[in-house]
Amino acid sequence: MCGQCPRRVRGQPWTRPSPGRSGASSEIVATIFRGTASKPSVSATSFQIELPDTVLAGARRGDLRALETIYRAFERPAYTLALRMLGDAEHARETVHDAMLRLFERVAQFRGDAPFWGWLRQIVVNEALMRIRRERGVVLESLPEDDSIAGNAAEPWASADASNIERALARLPALTRSVLWLFHVEEYTHQEIAELTGKSISFSKTQVMRGNQRLRHLLEAETSRNHEEITPWLSPATAV
Amino acid sequence: MAESGDSRLTDASHNACSAALRALPECTPDRDLWPDLSRALQSRRRSHRLHVLVPLALAAGLAAFMLWPRQTLQLSLPTASKPTASNPAMGSTELADLQQRSQSMERWISALSHNAAQDSRDLMAAVEVEDLIGLIDIQLGAARDANDALPLWRKRVRLLEDLATIRASGASIAAGHFALTSADNTNQRIN
Repeated sequence: MCGQCPRRVRGQPWTRPSPGRSGASSEIVATIFRGTASKPSVSATSFQIELPDTVLAGARRGDLRALETIYRAFERPAYTLALRMLGDAEHARETVHDAMLRLFERVAQFRGDAPFWGWLRQIVVNEALMRIRRERGVVLESLPEDDSIAGNAAEPWASADASNIERALARLPALTRSVLWLFHVEEYTHQEIAELTGKSISFSKTQVMRGNQRLRHLLEAETSRNHEEITPWLSPATAV
Repeated sequence: MAESGDSRLTDASHNACSAALRALPECTPDRDLWPDLSRALQSRRRSHRLHVLVPLALAAGLAAFMLWPRQTLQLSLPTASKPTASNPAMGSTELADLQQRSQSMERWISALSHNAAQDSRDLMAAVEVEDLIGLIDIQLGAARDANDALPLWRKRVRLLEDLATIRASGASIAAGHFALTSADNTNQRIN
């Protein structure tokens, strides 16, 4: 479960947030969401929402209702992407705010020759990377090239739950976490990541490899700690 | 053989990591961001309206800029006067020139039509350049003295020129479209 957003009640279906939270054109939003099927997990397709032409036309005219419809449609994928990259709810909110504002100021210029969602996602990624640079004093912290953690233990992925994975992710350096997320979830290529971060392709590849290893290691620690908490009577310290 | 076994293991680990990250749930901000966004949009619109009232002289300047070849712009950059330890006065003059040029470029860019259509590549490029300018601004905030600041101001002006070129190409497209539409309308009236 996401540790930084309202929790879903186990066993109940995951749904998108109420589209008409403050009077947006709920029918249009409902149509958009029908087209992207509610799903409980994240993938590159979460962003791939096609907007009706009428919404884009309204947004180009500066119609606030159309802009709100766009915001409602992309609120979750944009916030999720920002949160996963930044690891901080407040920064993620500010990033979404700034990215949306930027998008709305430019939407009149959007000619529609490329997917709208791709443009918005690019703006969110850029805003998040800018914020990471600002927070880290321009130098982006990442895992060093020689950071190598040997691990022959069984893969912890299957046994870890979402909260374990989120905690482990939060402990990675911001840039490594961002590269991992962009590569694995948003399906950016190493070339694209290199361009976004201003680094080399081999940097991106190394960060993905080291990030995987580090994440696995952190996850092993997380799951073994959980195991000890759940079954303290098996721990030698408490054994009589 | 062992190597291919290792690479299979790595691939499997990669796939498992991908699957685990993709299985994480989507998140929602804990409060509605739309009211703030809406307020910010409206206040920016108000300030934009004020900008629209800027005198016609600015529009004339803009037209001149758009007709000016890019090379001319680059030539006009004061690149020759690099600061030296022996001549700090020259450095401070260049710094002042660059700051003034930076300001006037920003005015030009903000006066360009916000409604000029741009293709997606140009839009993304513009966002990219704006980010780089933001990064330079952060670095300028941390600059200790004029020697630190000068190369940053040079970069800033170059980036503003790039941004102006990108934005002006969109404005040209819009102007071309307007001219074509007007011509069409005239032809229809004649026929």
